[in-house]
Amino acid sequence: MEKKSLWKRITGSREASLVIVLIVLCALISIKNPSFLALYNILEILKNNAVIMIMALGMLCVLLIGGIDISITSSLAFAGMTVGMLFKNGVIHSTLLGFIIAIAIGAACGFLIGLIIAKGNVTPIIATMGFMYIYRGFAYLVANSQWAGADALGGFKDFALESYLGFGVINNVLVIVIVCYIIFFILMKWTKFGRNIYAVGSNAEAAEISGIHVAHVKLAVYTLMGILAGLCGALAVTVYASAQPNMMQNKEMDVIAACVIGGVSMSGGRGSVGGALLGALILAVIAKALPLVGIDALAQNTVKGVIIIAVIVLNVVTQRMMDKNNLERREM
Amino acid sequence: MAGKSGRTIDATPKDVWKKNILSWEGMLVILFLLINIFCRCISPNYTMANVLREMPKYLSEIFLLFPMAYILMLGEIDISVGSTVCLSATIACIASNAGIPFPIVIVLTILTGAICGMVNGFILVKFPELPSMIVTLGTQIVFRGIAEIILGSGGSVSVTNTAGFRAIAGKIGPFPYIFFLVLISGAVFIVISIKTIFGRSLYAIGSNSRTSFYSGIKVKKVKFIVFTLMGIFAAIAALFLTSSLYGANTTTGNGFEMDAIAMAVFGGIATTGGKGRLIGGLISAFIIICLRIGLGQINMNPQVILIILGALLICAVLLPNVSAGLKLKKKS
Amino acid sequence: MKKKVLSVLLCAAMAAGMLAGCGGDDKASTDDANKPAASDADGSAAGKKFALVTKSAGNPYNEKEAEGFQQAIESIGGECIIKHPESATADAQVSVIQSLISQGVDSICIAANDENALQAALEDAMAAGIKVSCLDSKTNAASRMTFANQAGTTEIGQALMDAVYDIAGGEGDWAILSATSQATNQNAWIDAMKDIMENDSKYANLNLVEVAYGDDEPVKSTDQTQALLSKYPNLKVICAPTTVGIAAAAKVLQDQSSAVKLTGLGLPSEMAEYIGDDDAHSCPYMFLWNPIDVGRLGAYISAALVDGTITGAAGETFEAGDMPNSPYTIVDAGDGGTEVILGAPFKFDPTNIEEWKTVY
Repeated sequence: MEKKSLWKRITGSREASLVIVLIVLCALISIKNPSFLALYNILEILKNNAVIMIMALGMLCVLLIGGIDISITSSLAFAGMTVGMLFKNGVIHSTLLGFIIAIAIGAACGFLIGLIIAKGNVTPIIATMGFMYIYRGFAYLVANSQWAGADALGGFKDFALESYLGFGVINNVLVIVIVCYIIFFILMKWTKFGRNIYAVGSNAEAAEISGIHVAHVKLAVYTLMGILAGLCGALAVTVYASAQPNMMQNKEMDVIAACVIGGVSMSGGRGSVGGALLGALILAVIAKALPLVGIDALAQNTVKGVIIIAVIVLNVVTQRMMDKNNLERREM
Repeated sequence: MAGKSGRTIDATPKDVWKKNILSWEGMLVILFLLINIFCRCISPNYTMANVLREMPKYLSEIFLLFPMAYILMLGEIDISVGSTVCLSATIACIASNAGIPFPIVIVLTILTGAICGMVNGFILVKFPELPSMIVTLGTQIVFRGIAEIILGSGGSVSVTNTAGFRAIAGKIGPFPYIFFLVLISGAVFIVISIKTIFGRSLYAIGSNSRTSFYSGIKVKKVKFIVFTLMGIFAAIAALFLTSSLYGANTTTGNGFEMDAIAMAVFGGIATTGGKGRLIGGLISAFIIICLRIGLGQINMNPQVILIILGALLICAVLLPNVSAGLKLKKKS
Repeated sequence: MKKKVLSVLLCAAMAAGMLAGCGGDDKASTDDANKPAASDADGSAAGKKFALVTKSAGNPYNEKEAEGFQQAIESIGGECIIKHPESATADAQVSVIQSLISQGVDSICIAANDENALQAALEDAMAAGIKVSCLDSKTNAASRMTFANQAGTTEIGQALMDAVYDIAGGEGDWAILSATSQATNQNAWIDAMKDIMENDSKYANLNLVEVAYGDDEPVKSTDQTQALLSKYPNLKVICAPTTVGIAAAAKVLQDQSSAVKLTGLGLPSEMAEYIGDDDAHSCPYMFLWNPIDVGRLGAYISAALVDGTITGAAGETFEAGDMPNSPYTIVDAGDGGTEVILGAPFKFDPTNIEEWKTVY
């Protein structure tokens, strides 16, 4: 009996098929290149994709309420570029202050978007498309045709190299990723706010009637997304030791793709923190593996696109099989 | 011309006149006039001849607007069109260089676009659970990836035999062919959307896909046709774009999808489906083009132009919502 | 009926708008046509408009080129227009060129984002009597009069090859981390390096294991550098002939205190942190030219084209203000067109990097 329910739980979860995809991918790659699964390499993958992984959390919430945000990398660039220029011009020297400023800018960006969407009733894709241009433009204006390079960033770039947050064992960036995931896991699973998000996404009208203030939830979610984008702006600057106004341009689609690969529904109400994590990891592994397994540089993009489509189609096929199984079981 | 249409207007009942002016499209026409006057004031070079000469490159994007509007009416989205343009333009250049007669080059190019559109349509019809944004994100990477493979390590191809492309870039008086072609195809798309069963089924599916299905509309067929149309028109855009480039490269058509969506939305077509009139999209396309040309002529920072366009986009959706909200308040 | 009325109204209004808003005088365009004839007679640059089209906005390298261009144009009394395209694509540059034709400029100097795809627009410009030249990255021969080349392709190839030879100690595996697979300049330099390596037995013990492409994105460049390191354990040197790639690779190597060393082409301000002779630094030395000088050379070429001193044919010479190698001579570029070469690439090493990192 217990065995059956465990089996049911494994086959019943979307995440299971993703874990299998991830394992198969990793196995195939490590046959071609055994060094792929080295601990060091895995840590590099995580660090290099920290930004996407963290933003996937915010995007998860946005998608859960049936919205979308394509302005995130513009907010990221705006926040990151501002911090970079502040360091370059010697206005601030403290790493902590850098992060606080970036997060504040991100929060402001997100809040404004939330306001337009929640109070102005503008469709999310349009509002965020407008702000995608606006915030990116701000990043260019702040940069004033300069980059903030490694030399100009001073102590800020050391943050990504040191591990004082992780007690000298785990890199600072990874600590932030882990902390974000823990917070969101708790937030989505065990708090009222998390359940409100699912409620709004499943049926906004019903949620409103049952006393949830839908507009407030929306506002909070977009602000949350902005906070994460701002945090990632600072992270991107420290990880790559360089702030450029066009940084991470077009990467918002990677974030959305990570969520959808992770089984998050774009019409809202369905998705999990674990799914977002797995989706981001699969994308990260693909990006990392393509040069490693020796696919011709010219064909790498095509292969990447085909794999993305294949994974999401696979998702649908397994979902259909699962539904069919469930139906059969019910009939019995 | 002006006198004649003036009489027609006088002959119609007063409320229609008022209603038309106050409609979104009426506002757009006024905005169009204002923008032109504004541009004329800020730039001494904003003359008929100059505007018409600068226009063809922008006009090729309008070809994308029409089917994109249909797709948005269905409640779907296609972000792969920029890549379809890239792949079609690549094929056009290579075919033309191979000495193939130009009419066949046109056929081949359109065929390429149609196949790209069909691939999107096929996946979306086979797997209706998949959001079109993610499917077309995947194909976006793949189509451009294929162009990258075809173009090889140079990543760029030059048209050695430009005769055909020069021919389609010709003019009647000061008006380039493409200008008429855009207006004619615009008229056809508008008439189809408001006068035919097919057009009405677009709105029906966009409003409620399931009800439409049960009321006998072939949802899958309509979807497939619209996405194929999108591919075909992307190829037509590619042909005209090539005629103002004489070459193609891996960045050709980059960002066209966003431009097309922005034009449609600015014209009052909702991305949620089932709403909007194509005529608005056409006018707003001209507004955006004229504004870009005018601001370009006074050498405004391109990022500031993007900020202005982003803000316009948000206002275009926000203002009607806010005024509707105010009216509601007044009533209650 | 309402809809019909609406459509008619809209069409009429649009046509009227086109005519009212932008119609009226076609005088400006006829003025443009007359301009070149007048400028041929008059040799001075005063009152002339010189335009520079950069590759993209927000890039300090392009900005320095623009700065040099502006300095030189203003020193000869001309009016300078700097235009950045909306994005780093040929599509966006076409709109910019068309806009400049409307403004009736006298010359356009462009850093091309693509060799071929600007041909139609630049032909239009030349047909309107505008003198077209390139700087930094050229267009194909049909769409330019001449080209301000920052350094001869072979010279760059030779300098980089010698650097690799020197840093690797004469033998071993090395790899290239380039920009995109389509980048014209990078591809030309890589080809030059391969040529030199094949044709000179001195380099016989060097083994080029891979050309990787980081697409000038920090993320992808980092991934590619790490991939190179894990794929080729015996790698000795990475050569990155691109400013974004070299900075990303330098960071990876330095963070890992890798034994692999780096050279290539990079901006001193971006690379200052990584240049040094000891093990703590990943890049012993690298090369670049002075982008300010590239801009100035482009400006003087534009001026000489406009006042008729040169037509862009090989063998012609012109004065370039106070630039070190002035007068410059136009030479054959080997692609059917001509070019002017600024000089040899400049070497940045620990002795001079402190001085240059504040300049560009």
